Amino acid sequence: MTATTAARPIGTRRQPTRKRVATIVWAVALTLLTLLVLYPLVWLVFSTFKPSSEFGSNPGLFPESPTLQNYVKVAEGIGGTPLWRFFGNSLLIASIAVVGTLISSSMAAYAFARIRFKGVGVFFAAMIGTLLLPFHVLIIPQYIVFQKLGLIDTYVPLLIGKFLAVEAFFVFLMVQFIRGLPRELDEAARIDGAGHIRTFVSIILPLIKPALITSAIFSFIWTWNDFLGPLLYITSPEKYPLPIALRLYNDATSTSDYGATVAVSMLALVPILLFFIVFQRFLVAGVATQGLKG
Amino acid sequence: MFRSRRARIRSTVTAIAATGVLALTACAGGSGDEGSDGPVTLDFAFWGNDVRAEMYDEAIAAFNEEFPDIKVNVSFLGFPEFWEKRQIESTSGGLPDVMQFDYSYLRQYSENGLLLDLGPHLGEGIDTDPIDEKILDIGVVNDTTYGIATSTNAWTLYQNPKLLESIGAAPYEGGGSWEDYTDWVQATTDAAAAAGQPIYGGTDFTGRIQNFELQLRAQGSYLFNDDGEPGFDEDDLRAFWEQGAPFREGAGVPQQRLEEVYPLSGFDSAITASELTWDNFGAGYLGNLGEGYTELLLVEPPITEEGAKDLYLKPSMLHTISANTEHPEEAVELLNFLVNAPEVGAAFGTNRGLPASETQLEGVELGGLEAQIQEYEESISDRLGDPPAVPIVGYGSLEEKFRVIGTDLGLGVVTVDEAVEQFFTEMDVVLNQ
Repeated sequence: MTATTAARPIGTRRQPTRKRVATIVWAVALTLLTLLVLYPLVWLVFSTFKPSSEFGSNPGLFPESPTLQNYVKVAEGIGGTPLWRFFGNSLLIASIAVVGTLISSSMAAYAFARIRFKGVGVFFAAMIGTLLLPFHVLIIPQYIVFQKLGLIDTYVPLLIGKFLAVEAFFVFLMVQFIRGLPRELDEAARIDGAGHIRTFVSIILPLIKPALITSAIFSFIWTWNDFLGPLLYITSPEKYPLPIALRLYNDATSTSDYGATVAVSMLALVPILLFFIVFQRFLVAGVATQGLKG
Repeated sequence: MFRSRRARIRSTVTAIAATGVLALTACAGGSGDEGSDGPVTLDFAFWGNDVRAEMYDEAIAAFNEEFPDIKVNVSFLGFPEFWEKRQIESTSGGLPDVMQFDYSYLRQYSENGLLLDLGPHLGEGIDTDPIDEKILDIGVVNDTTYGIATSTNAWTLYQNPKLLESIGAAPYEGGGSWEDYTDWVQATTDAAAAAGQPIYGGTDFTGRIQNFELQLRAQGSYLFNDDGEPGFDEDDLRAFWEQGAPFREGAGVPQQRLEEVYPLSGFDSAITASELTWDNFGAGYLGNLGEGYTELLLVEPPITEEGAKDLYLKPSMLHTISANTEHPEEAVELLNFLVNAPEVGAAFGTNRGLPASETQLEGVELGGLEAQIQEYEESISDRLGDPPAVPIVGYGSLEEKFRVIGTDLGLGVVTVDEAVEQFFTEMDVVLNQ
């Protein structure tokens, strides 16, 4: 903006008005578009105050007879398990997943980017290949393995993969990041007597912080929202994470408590929203730095 | 590169050893609960919502008073998730010991050898005296009993008396021909329009496969027999869907209006005054209608052929035991308790439908609607025929396809001829799997 203003010595009278009009049009159009995109979320917020019976008769935004009953109901928990328990479970799983992903993916990425071991190319290609493998192909064999190991109804099947760098997306992201770092740094460290571990911990890790933060955010959000994994591996209701719990208010074969469902969906969104608001600065920075070299 | 060869070998050995230890620990975990004569733990799974979960808690607590040595781990999910999980578990022998079970999956699971043959336990561990022979037959696939029905329901016509009153229309008397019912729906919709209310007499009944089945049964046929062969041809189906024409031309609720309230039905949302469905839907209707509505009316569905035994009792759900259970005796105890105990009846009321077992029924305090349902099932006794063959594998998806095609017909995006073709194509795929 300032650059254009400075570079415009003649005809300054008319142009700002035209520019302003254009800006206003843009702003209005974008606001409308944003509202359109945000409408489902806004609807969700307002709907949490509708009594359950209103969901059939009133698809509109505003509740006809607003009530807090849904939140009261949800706070009571489900089948003897308090709601905070589901939050706690989700938080526990997501936090451990983040830690596991960061440790394992960064180590794998370091190896791929900096160590020239035999078959590195093949392994790298194989790892990228797993990105193309649909999860549904793996479900049954994976389930059988964990079932035979007696690990059903524990969090191990959900978390062990995170510690073994199976999320190729994160590994790839970090590999690309590390490749962008000048090798001279490693060499300098090596001359000073540092081994791989030292180089990794003291040189590489601090430098790939943006990639680590990006991975942490995605890993948290994905794990928090994961439905299929916990559905398959967790059996006891008191171990359920939120995405499973919020489906429990609906039963297609008898009554469905839509009020409670939207209320608990709303509550489940809050941590993600907070997490995003707190870290979005890093997220944008992380994504923006991905393209840079050196 | 950085380290010596020996160091590298050493680290490789450490890594292998660590993996081994990990695997060993895991194996040890797997065989932990074997060989104990003391308390036995059973896994029990059901589908339902928070309301049903509390009822099961109560029922299991009563069970534990009688059998303190059997610990029951209860797990529950919504209906679609429940089956998704079972499908995966069934690949590895990981099914729960005792399950709440759905009729439409009974054939698939029993033919794959996943369910325990209950035959040896009938009359031994499972008390069969209080259960009608006809109801026991429901759980039989290929001459073997795999499940016991907890409760039954029958097809019925629900009406909303308060809504009818508000538009000054009289309720449908029940019975009559399908044309009579169609005329009544038209008259009710007209009355509502005259009263200036956006209410309709009913929903296009040709959208539900059960109405088709009812008409086929009246003519001495069936949807599918035990060998999975259909009991109807293209012309039968075409004739059936053509009966829905008056509904699509304005007698019934427009499909578009129904899409707006989906997944609730028009009846749930108080925009239609009648709906043909299973009689155990009543409590759900009242719940979804909200506090303004306390009464429902149920009458018998229209008659296709006078004197035909077209109605039948369907299990609203069954209980089964998985074939891989390590404690069949205890599992049978639990199943028997859940099916027969009056305490369970007291806990559930008619949440799972009207109890099939007389002893369990004794425990139920029948409220207004429940008493109505019981009366209804008694009133139709001379229209009740033998239950149809246990649903073929894939019946669930055909039923859903039928519903979707009904919706398309209602929206006017397919003609009846195209609809018939679509359904038969789908049926070919399912039957030839």
